[in-house]
Amino acid sequence: MSDQQWQRVSPWALLYFIVHFALRFIKDGLLNLLPILVLFVTQVEQKLFWGQIAVAVASLVLVLYAFAYYRNFKYRITDGHEILLNKGVFKKERLTLKFARVQNVNIAEPFYFQPVNLVNCIFDAAGSSAQEAVIPGVKLSYAEQVREQVMEFKAQLQQQEQLPVEQSEATDKPKTLTISNAEIAKFGLMSNMAILALAALAPFMNVIFEYLEKTIINRLEAILNEQAAFVGSAAAIAVLIMVVAIVLCAILLSVVMALVRFFNFQLYFQDDKFKRVAGLFERQQLSISVSKIQSVQIKQNIIARFLNRYTLICPQVSSGGMAAGVAAHKNKQTLVMPVITKEQVQAVCGWLFPWFVDLTELNFIKPERALLYKNTFLYVILPTVFSALIFNALFDAATMLWSIVVGLVLMTGVFLNYQKTGLAMYQHDGRFFAVFKTGMLGVQYRVFEIYKAQSVTTISTYLMRRSQLKSLYIQLASGSVSMPYLKAELAEQFADFALYEIEGVERNWF
Amino acid sequence: MFSNQQIETLPKHQTIQFQPLADNAIWHVQLNWLLFYVPLMAVIIAVRHFNPAVSEAIATPWLLVLPLLVILSMVYNLYSVRAKGVAVREHDIAFKRGLIWQQITLLPISRVQHTEIHRGPIERKLGLATLRLYSAGGMSADLHISGLTDEQCNDVRQFVQSYGDNAATQENELADE
Repeated sequence: MSDQQWQRVSPWALLYFIVHFALRFIKDGLLNLLPILVLFVTQVEQKLFWGQIAVAVASLVLVLYAFAYYRNFKYRITDGHEILLNKGVFKKERLTLKFARVQNVNIAEPFYFQPVNLVNCIFDAAGSSAQEAVIPGVKLSYAEQVREQVMEFKAQLQQQEQLPVEQSEATDKPKTLTISNAEIAKFGLMSNMAILALAALAPFMNVIFEYLEKTIINRLEAILNEQAAFVGSAAAIAVLIMVVAIVLCAILLSVVMALVRFFNFQLYFQDDKFKRVAGLFERQQLSISVSKIQSVQIKQNIIARFLNRYTLICPQVSSGGMAAGVAAHKNKQTLVMPVITKEQVQAVCGWLFPWFVDLTELNFIKPERALLYKNTFLYVILPTVFSALIFNALFDAATMLWSIVVGLVLMTGVFLNYQKTGLAMYQHDGRFFAVFKTGMLGVQYRVFEIYKAQSVTTISTYLMRRSQLKSLYIQLASGSVSMPYLKAELAEQFADFALYEIEGVERNWF
Repeated sequence: MFSNQQIETLPKHQTIQFQPLADNAIWHVQLNWLLFYVPLMAVIIAVRHFNPAVSEAIATPWLLVLPLLVILSMVYNLYSVRAKGVAVREHDIAFKRGLIWQQITLLPISRVQHTEIHRGPIERKLGLATLRLYSAGGMSADLHISGLTDEQCNDVRQFVQSYGDNAATQENELADE
């Protein structure tokens, strides 16, 4: 199926280039234009007229640039197992991507391609967005053929490079998981997107409140004033109603964002490969082999606990550059099952790990009590004394009693955190897995096969050494895990065993 | 469930014989320290000299705290450098550091993604270099070892780069036997 000639993409791809460059301009360019925008707002008269002219010129430049880019964009898939892209307007660029370096081939169907049945074929190299290559506006069948070709080549390469990996029964029946959109909406409630939406609004809060005060709060106050019961507190109640309304709006926004990202979520599992299709405006297809998954995170925050749901995250190698956990979570290549029941967690983890048992039944090793004492001193006693001093300084001696409440809340947090920290190991068929548990109000499990770890560190302070204790820190290719205050002997044994697994297991770790 | 029968027979990292850093490493640390603190002290003294308000707030005896802090820090540096050690084993590199917080990091060579050697002006003068070893997924280097000689750094880098070939050769030799 290799193309020996340079190929052009469909003229519809022009739409992709326009959207792509417009988004890039908003993301990267707008901030640079901020000084000009300030000048425009403060200095220019007839803002509407000149604003329209500026928008018209920018749109024209965008369309012309996208057209020139489309004219120069050519691609070729060679017999030498390479994807070649010729692109650029002012600076011509030749991108060569070897099949061996491609981590995944994803197929995305943006909403503007749906009427013409075209898709974008996205090649992801080494988990880095900078290395991403896209062939826009190709037929779905062609994109699937290319994906098959790349994956087939990589499978052959893997077979040549390493000892045969355990063979799964070929061509199983595909297993599926569908998440309804009502469930996806729950993710909007569970996730921190509402807080992020509020945080995004924070810089404009003053302006928003000023506007709301003029338009809504004053009227609301007037209405409330008419009710005799509200006399005296009408203003406060009006502000409270507004705050509740803003929080509700943020939650609604969060639900909408969740739906945009995970609309009509479908997951298929066959021959040790996941395929996920989801998205409202852009149907994103993500394919990921089980061997590429570095660890599995099973999370349940406090809201998810009330809803009795979990989030399951399967990160691949994170590209680095930012905090690895953040990178893994934001990485487009991370497989996220946003909101699933406990039974679904068991089912999906059962596909990944045939041994998978209910994690609550595992015999977790808990940290030593010294951790509880240390955290009580650092996070309960010190802040409580400090808050008592502040209460005394700001108010009177009697208010110091409130610091007891502060202390009790902090103590509860410290104790719950201690209770929910643990480490367990599991052996299945000669393979060793570790499960790290953390949490406070919620809980988070991290499951990984030990040989996939990248490095191991043991840490001890002077007092820990006196009590024969050590903390364990394990770097994974998708973040890190740690287990504080283990018996020194146990921490050392785990470190030695992890090294033995990393150095002894010959299977490819990525 | 997991059985730990094998663990007793595992090579124990606690028995690793760590090699100390190069002799000149302490000078590198002390010079770096002084290059930061001497100008800082000079600025504090100058501000106090030219600004009467600051001069009143900081009595002359308090200025003695500055050299005392520097001396204490330099003594700490001395012990801190002595506490550091590096060991290259057949399949991994170990690095220990820390006086109060003691850390031992073990990085399997098969997980090293790339290596870097840095040589700043002071390091070049002292014949030293800094070795950085990166694995996947970390936000910075997994191992950051300063105070090795340039030759040691190059040897470790060479060893890491040829690790795959060495392992394959050893396997072939074992197979031949």
